[in-house]
Amino acid sequence: MLNISLRAETIFHIGTWPITNAVLLAFIAVLILATVAIILRRKLAMTPGMLQNVSEVIVEGALSLMDDVLGTREKSERYFPLVFTIFIFVITSNYLGLLPGVSSIMVGHGANAVPLLRSPASDLNFTLAVALIAVTTVNIFATIIFGIKDRISVFLNFKGPIQLFVGLLELLSEFARIISFTFRLFGNVFAGEVLLAIMALLAPYLVPLPFMFLEVFVGFIQAFIFAMLTLVFIELAVTPHEGEEAGH
Amino acid sequence: MPAAAPHAMQQLLDQLGINWELLISQAVNFALLLIVLRIFVYKPLLKLLRDRRARIAEGLMKADEADRRLHEVDMIGKERMKEAENKAVAILKRTEHDARELEERLLGEIKRKETEESAQAAARLKVQQEESRRAMEKEAAVLVRAAIVRTVELAPEAIDDALIARAVKESRT
Repeated sequence: MLNISLRAETIFHIGTWPITNAVLLAFIAVLILATVAIILRRKLAMTPGMLQNVSEVIVEGALSLMDDVLGTREKSERYFPLVFTIFIFVITSNYLGLLPGVSSIMVGHGANAVPLLRSPASDLNFTLAVALIAVTTVNIFATIIFGIKDRISVFLNFKGPIQLFVGLLELLSEFARIISFTFRLFGNVFAGEVLLAIMALLAPYLVPLPFMFLEVFVGFIQAFIFAMLTLVFIELAVTPHEGEEAGH
Repeated sequence: MPAAAPHAMQQLLDQLGINWELLISQAVNFALLLIVLRIFVYKPLLKLLRDRRARIAEGLMKADEADRRLHEVDMIGKERMKEAENKAVAILKRTEHDARELEERLLGEIKRKETEESAQAAARLKVQQEESRRAMEKEAAVLVRAAIVRTVELAPEAIDDALIARAVKESRT
């Protein structure tokens, strides 16, 4: 019968370090993207080939979108690596999770049988790790621009009770961002996996197809939302607040 | 129960499957991807896009410059054409004028030569006439002498020189 587990299953250990099916598929995603990146690097030329053309269209599109939010191309190029890596990693992981064999090829026997691969975003460790990296990096960017003293004063401001309260709310909102990032992506992908598994169990032929399309769409939208929210948080963090502008 | 809260938290994290080792594994995956993409894609590709943008801008600038220069060259060409046309017209006018002068000079020359030649011809004619007249006079003298000899054959000595001269004078008229 259907076995739904919130936790990613450990399939082997490196020494004492556990490797789950979600970590394995995330690593496969990294390998695929790294391979494509190396091939692209070798073929980079002033007159582009097909792969470079496609890459340039995607990168230019992403940069234009970032220009709309950040205002300048210089800023967009500075924050592009983080935002685009989040997008490409999440979308690749989501789409790899939809491939046949993922969640259905099992290792182990009987009751100990677990899927060899699992969609990385259906494991909270993946979404939490990416969320932590995004929020931490946003704060690092803001610290680089405004200095550590100013950045801390955003969260701990003792100029008055209202400022202190606003600062604490800011601090709380950072944690809220991590949680919302983590559970939004996890919830959508995990729910999609469960939905697909149930549909496949109830009606294995044709009926799951529309849901597959839905998951393709959800996979893109969730990666896009994650990257766009990171971008918006960067913009909020690196733009001087009212009253601060004169100081910078 | 101060120890209960961390324990409950740990239990919640366990139930959700959150584990610091797996968290680090996924973070390393992400960091690895970020580094690889930064080295192999972002840096070279963004540099290439910037370079190409700069080249396109430079190309457009050069094209504008070339258009401007072409326009200038076109203008210079038109000016030169106009100058050349003016020069050609001036040359034609001067040539026409020179030709007219030459024609007049040649005509004058021809007229002068004609006059000279006609004068020479007249002089030659006069000389010839003079020679003819002399020859005729000689012949006439011979003839008259012969006629007179015949006429006065019997007494040639009686032929008076004055008679001969008179006869010659009459033959002239």
